[in-house]
Amino acid sequence: MIQFIAVRLAAFVPTLLAISAVLFLAINVIPGGAAQASLGIKATPQAIARFNREHGLDRPLPEQYVAWLGKVLQGDFGKSLQSGTPVGPELLVRLALTLELAILAFLIANLIAVPLGCLAAYHHQRAADNAFIFLATIMGALPNFWLATLLILFFTVTLHWLPPGGYVPFVEAPLENLSLMLMPAISLGVVSSALLLRIMRTGMIEVISSDYIRTARAKGAGQGAVIWRHALRNALIPYLTVGGVEFSLLFGGVVIVENIFLLPGVGQLALIGISQRDYPLLLASVLLIAVVVLSANLIVDVVGAWLDPRRVRTVRSA
Amino acid sequence: MMPAPATLVRIPWRRVGLLSIGATLTIVLLLVALFAPWIAPFSPYEINVPERLQPPGAVHWLGTDELGRDTFSRTVFAARISVQVAAVAVGIGLLGGILIGLSSAYFGGAWDMIFMRNMDLLYAFPAVLLAIVIMAGLGTSMVNAMIAIGIIFIPGYARLSRATAQVVLRQPFIEAAITIGMSTPRILFREILPNIATPLMVAGAIGFAYAVLVESALSFLGLGAQPPEPTWGEMINSGRGQMTNAPWLGIVPGAAIFLSVLGFNMLGDGLRDFFDPQLRD
Repeated sequence: MIQFIAVRLAAFVPTLLAISAVLFLAINVIPGGAAQASLGIKATPQAIARFNREHGLDRPLPEQYVAWLGKVLQGDFGKSLQSGTPVGPELLVRLALTLELAILAFLIANLIAVPLGCLAAYHHQRAADNAFIFLATIMGALPNFWLATLLILFFTVTLHWLPPGGYVPFVEAPLENLSLMLMPAISLGVVSSALLLRIMRTGMIEVISSDYIRTARAKGAGQGAVIWRHALRNALIPYLTVGGVEFSLLFGGVVIVENIFLLPGVGQLALIGISQRDYPLLLASVLLIAVVVLSANLIVDVVGAWLDPRRVRTVRSA
Repeated sequence: MMPAPATLVRIPWRRVGLLSIGATLTIVLLLVALFAPWIAPFSPYEINVPERLQPPGAVHWLGTDELGRDTFSRTVFAARISVQVAAVAVGIGLLGGILIGLSSAYFGGAWDMIFMRNMDLLYAFPAVLLAIVIMAGLGTSMVNAMIAIGIIFIPGYARLSRATAQVVLRQPFIEAAITIGMSTPRILFREILPNIATPLMVAGAIGFAYAVLVESALSFLGLGAQPPEPTWGEMINSGRGQMTNAPWLGIVPGAAIFLSVLGFNMLGDGLRDFFDPQLRD
């Protein structure tokens, strides 16, 4: 197990380096945008050249990348091209919000997917099963930003139950924080529960038809005990892997949903970075999300190995 | 009189039902996109301020927006952009994915490792976010949206092509093809490709659904086709400002996205069930 974790940790660093290189390249494919955005359309070529020299944008890309990476490794994420303030501290403050949103959304996704997936498997090939599969198909086709719009229309505009957006830190006012986070988390969570529900159902159907479950039934275990006590742990193994991927995918939606509900998170910062062509801002926020995503995948791998020790062996023999 | 014979062939409703609903929704979307100028009663660009924010009615079936433009017509024309972007993006993704996946499976070794490591890397990263980053680099336009979405599809299709091609490669007829001296491109594209076409087709249909979602997400954020070009994402975004007095502006384009995505997803699922009933449950 320790060896397994060590192997995964060793893979973490090169993966992150490669992702950072991909992101850096993708953002800098077309040179010169930042100066134009910062100085305006009427900027003289001299002013643009000066801006580029000051910010090191006139050097070759690989050189820029190495310089940027060197600073990042020292914890310096650079300064915003627009405001001139360091990006790092700002990011850390925003990370708390983004993580809270992603975790709440993931929680909601699982609260929908696990029970309904188990129920669907339990009623395999009967009406209830078909109904849950249909529900998953519906949820999977909803764009999260449309769901968010509909939630605002219903709960804010029509019923006046929930505020349309804004943010208060959890430590200051927990209840208000949750009421502000509820709609964003639902719009993300419902959409990601679609795939999870299907995976839960398929995994559960497979486990229910296995020999040890038949034995448990033969020994007189009730239906509830069979599903929740005996089958769930094994059915969760394939579920967990997909869950890890789904958690990563949530961060794509975070950018959009933070924007809708005026949540000052990392995703919103990334968007500001794009609209103002503030590349240090954009790069740092996306890199931070990459770190979070990779860490989540690492944790999922380790928990998966703990649930299913067979996995550790395959890694060792590979 | 003989009793009517019991139905000998039971129609597998779940199998055909999914496929036919999916195919119907998809065909409707394609027809709307193709014949938009004939279907839409108004121009999608025509500003008509006196008629602004009209609720759905006899003249403007789905109402008008804050500039008096007809919501139904704009929704119909936006279907064109969604279909175009999705088609090109899935095309780029399939082309890149098949080339990388097939060659990785066939040549193996270092080639395989380098390519697939990179694919795994991209696969682990949230696709929408990657598309946003690529758009930031390329600049916002419809063509760039096609490229960005196409690129984020490559890893998934590459992994699928590689995995299915590896199964085909173990078959005796590939060995025979190598033995008789068939050229490598011919083995790849004439022998292997037709045998992995079915799963790729299914993935293509589901990719179409995802492309429509990502395109509308990008245009929602203002990173897709630029106004006054109507896109579903941009329509929802500007409609959000009118939620209290004109809720249809946010509802209608979203429903169009939802039905399109639902159609492609059901088509994909239906095709999979149809070609490979074993995969079902």
